Amino acid sequence: MSGRGRYLLGKAAWALIVVFVVISFNFFLFRVLPGDPAKAGARDPRLSPQSIIALTERFGLDKPVFVNLEDGASPFDSQYFAYLGALSRGDLGMSYAFRDEPVADLLGEALVNTIWLILPAQVLSILLGTMLGLVAAWRRGTALDVVSLTFSLFLWSLPTFFLAILLLVFGSSYLDLPTAGKTTIGAQYASFWEELFDIGRHLAMPTLAFTLVLLGEYMLIMRSSVLDVFSEDYILTAKAKGLSTFRIIRDHAVRNAMLPMVTLIALNLAFTVSGAIQVEQVFSWPGIGDLTVEAISQRDYPVLQGAFILIAVAVVIANFVADIVYGWLDPRVTHA
Amino acid sequence: MTAVVQATAPPTAPATTARRWRAALRRPMGLIGGGMLIIAVLTALAAPLLAPYDPYAPVRVSIQDIFQAPSGAHPLGTDDGGKDVLSSLIYGARVSLIVGFTAAAITTVVGGLIGIVAGYRGGRIGIGLMSITDFFLVIPEIALQIVIVAIAGQSLVNIILVIGLLGWATTARLVRSQTLSVRERKFVQRARAIGAGDAHILRRHVVPAVLPLMIANTVLVISLAILSESTLAFIGLGDPTVISWGQMLNFAFNRGAISAGAWWALIPPGLAIVWVVLGTTLLGTALEDALNPRLKRHHLEKDRSIAIPRSPAAPLARRAAGDPATVLAVRDLAIEFDSPSGPLRAVDGVSFDLRRGETLGLVGESGCGKTTTILGLLRLLPPGGRIVSGSVRYGDDDLLQLDPAEMREVRWSRLSLVFQGAMNALNPVRPVGDQVAEAIRVHERGIGRRGAARRAGEMLERVGIGRRRYGDYPHTYSGGMRQRAMIALALACRPDIVMADEPTTALDVMIQAQILELLAELGREMGMSVILVTHDLGVVAQTCDRVVVMYGGRVAEEADTARLFADPQHPYTQRLLASFPDLAHPGRRLQGIPGSPPRLDAMPSGCAFHPRCPFAFERCPAEVPPPFDLGDGRRASCFLVEQGAAARPSGPHLPEAPRG
Repeated sequence: MSGRGRYLLGKAAWALIVVFVVISFNFFLFRVLPGDPAKAGARDPRLSPQSIIALTERFGLDKPVFVNLEDGASPFDSQYFAYLGALSRGDLGMSYAFRDEPVADLLGEALVNTIWLILPAQVLSILLGTMLGLVAAWRRGTALDVVSLTFSLFLWSLPTFFLAILLLVFGSSYLDLPTAGKTTIGAQYASFWEELFDIGRHLAMPTLAFTLVLLGEYMLIMRSSVLDVFSEDYILTAKAKGLSTFRIIRDHAVRNAMLPMVTLIALNLAFTVSGAIQVEQVFSWPGIGDLTVEAISQRDYPVLQGAFILIAVAVVIANFVADIVYGWLDPRVTHA
Repeated sequence: MTAVVQATAPPTAPATTARRWRAALRRPMGLIGGGMLIIAVLTALAAPLLAPYDPYAPVRVSIQDIFQAPSGAHPLGTDDGGKDVLSSLIYGARVSLIVGFTAAAITTVVGGLIGIVAGYRGGRIGIGLMSITDFFLVIPEIALQIVIVAIAGQSLVNIILVIGLLGWATTARLVRSQTLSVRERKFVQRARAIGAGDAHILRRHVVPAVLPLMIANTVLVISLAILSESTLAFIGLGDPTVISWGQMLNFAFNRGAISAGAWWALIPPGLAIVWVVLGTTLLGTALEDALNPRLKRHHLEKDRSIAIPRSPAAPLARRAAGDPATVLAVRDLAIEFDSPSGPLRAVDGVSFDLRRGETLGLVGESGCGKTTTILGLLRLLPPGGRIVSGSVRYGDDDLLQLDPAEMREVRWSRLSLVFQGAMNALNPVRPVGDQVAEAIRVHERGIGRRGAARRAGEMLERVGIGRRRYGDYPHTYSGGMRQRAMIALALACRPDIVMADEPTTALDVMIQAQILELLAELGREMGMSVILVTHDLGVVAQTCDRVVVMYGGRVAEEADTARLFADPQHPYTQRLLASFPDLAHPGRRLQGIPGSPPRLDAMPSGCAFHPRCPFAFERCPAEVPPPFDLGDGRRASCFLVEQGAAARPSGPHLPEAPRG
């Protein structure tokens, strides 16, 4: 097998292992910690009697936790394997709070909204952050560098929710932008474009808040990564070859500096998740974060569990994608 | 690893930990950050004295108490519960800092231990620990924090534990790589070899080396922990029994502060978080920079390397009156480096000629200015380096007077370089052939992509690599092949002059000979002049027509190779030759030169060699000896030479020139 194939296979295997551990961990967590939500859920007064029966059945609360060791019973007839089976069917259970709606449906809808929020902000902040970091590193020590460095450190220190609140107030009082939700309540749209425009107005400030939050960090990472590259001998070679500064940066610096960026952007997704939760809460944007916060206040454990699995798996997949990109950018990793 | 520019940064005394701390706090960043943090800590400690009200005392609330605008009684107004915002703000510092400090302490201890064990033990335990670490790096912290706090209960202790115990993976990774590098260091391996126990090595070597970095990291972790706590509190997972800034914002935001226009309930707690987080971040960043001053070089900084008055229409014509066989004439070249104690001279008044088609050896111990000189000729000095005087005549031009665009034209197409460490001199993520073709395309416009690729392929063929490897990356090449590729790159534009800086260091002896032969052969074939920088006199004897010996940034002696070996004039040359194994006289004892070459910041007065010279007399420390012309292109900078042949030290112990 080629080096590249082996590399990708190894990374894929690792991603699968992590996903499996996350899923098992999730099961374990919700049964071991004080206040066992599975049992607590079965006593939840908000649930109809049918739901409670369904819940007991689903969690197999009358069955052993991990492995069924009773005579004659299948060893897999346990809560853990019931859970794995349900998961493999995409069944994440029913929400307590949202009157018996399937968790998977709730999460699916919220996920689409979260992607609406995350994607433009990620793309914008990566583009702006890398460019700003590149220029700041190139002009190290100049006023431009100092200003953008200070700006980035300040943005980094700003709690996301606080920035979001400031932008919310600013947007609603000066730009007449809506403060909550995805669309104007009760609005009738003449066309698809009108609806899109309405969503855009709702998205503007959340996207800006998210972009700014991510921007500071990306700029800092890119700056230090580019500075590392600029100290390398091959940059001196490129200069000795008579290349212009522009060509050196374009052909020799950017790709090399993007290597650590790729890893860090992926690792930073955890940070992105945290940001999404906060921005969504402030702007009541109906995404995963808003749903999670709602689930916390309602103690809606199935939703909380589902959101946890979804977030963790999404981040693992994103890291896997980053590994693929890294292998493509850097010929060295697929060699050895 | 960074071999190319070894002779650049002036050596200075190693920094102690205490000195680095002071250095960090002297930076504006560290000073401001430390100050901000101290103010926050003092506020938290003195909260009962500073706060006008006790925010924990129960109050009876009436409607008109809620969201009162700032007034004399309430400098920052009141919140949604009718409480004094300023008092809550002051007490809130306590929670933020307690969570920040304790969670960071947990993170550091757990991450530090795991990192040290993983790095020090290696093997199966190390791999296992690192897998766990990688796992925790991938899992989004906030999701775990939310889930655990939501289930386990929202107490301050749980919050601290969750933040502290989930954030250790980054620290572990950092500490592990640091431990690994310490473990590989010579003194640790030596300690292990003489039977020192693990506990001893850990206590005496590993921990002291890892600790400073860990402390800087801890400071940064504090800021992360404070942010995490405020985030949890804001999304409704704070401890309801304590007052924290995140919770203040949560209540104000969710209980109508915006519609009431009560900015005073929102802005101050937000800014308080920014204050503490920014303070710790600044301090941590300054500490990290001071501990890890890795970013000295910057090859693309604005070029400030020429500090010679411009003389556009000047003395070139007069100077050019020299020998037409001379392809490069260096005169009075002086180069300085900035240092905390003022500029230091690395090259001082160096002059020499390079004739067409000859190979000139530039010889001397490390740190004598050889590399700096040739980098200076191409105006490629690292930041802080400056050419302060001199001229470099090439054809009708003084290279030191060209504007940057003209200089770019000259580089590589006329003067090219073979770098010392070819591993680092080639870009690791681009195919080798591309890197050769790139040089051709830059200087020969109109040759086209395919023409350049064809020529690059020919060059690779010519140096014995073969076209087949055109598309391969540098890491797939062996050391010798990389150096061949470097030569192909240097000759690709058929320059007049190739400068090779220790081109065979780090290669094994057989390969060394091949590379040098290749360079000499191609040089002859293409009619190029070669400047060979080396400290290997064997190489000089085999390949060079003439030799320039440098010491302390000056030329000590210049002569034909045969004469230099037969009858060295400068005591330094004599010593250098005596320390070099001579195959013609295998029984002779080698004599090293006592002492070491001078540091730039401690350059001896007068003749730089006088402290190590057995023939030094009173004039040597007092005056700089000028080069004395001894005829036949032979010069030596030593007063002994001036006094004539009678006083000249002759050396019966000196070897004869190996090639006669």
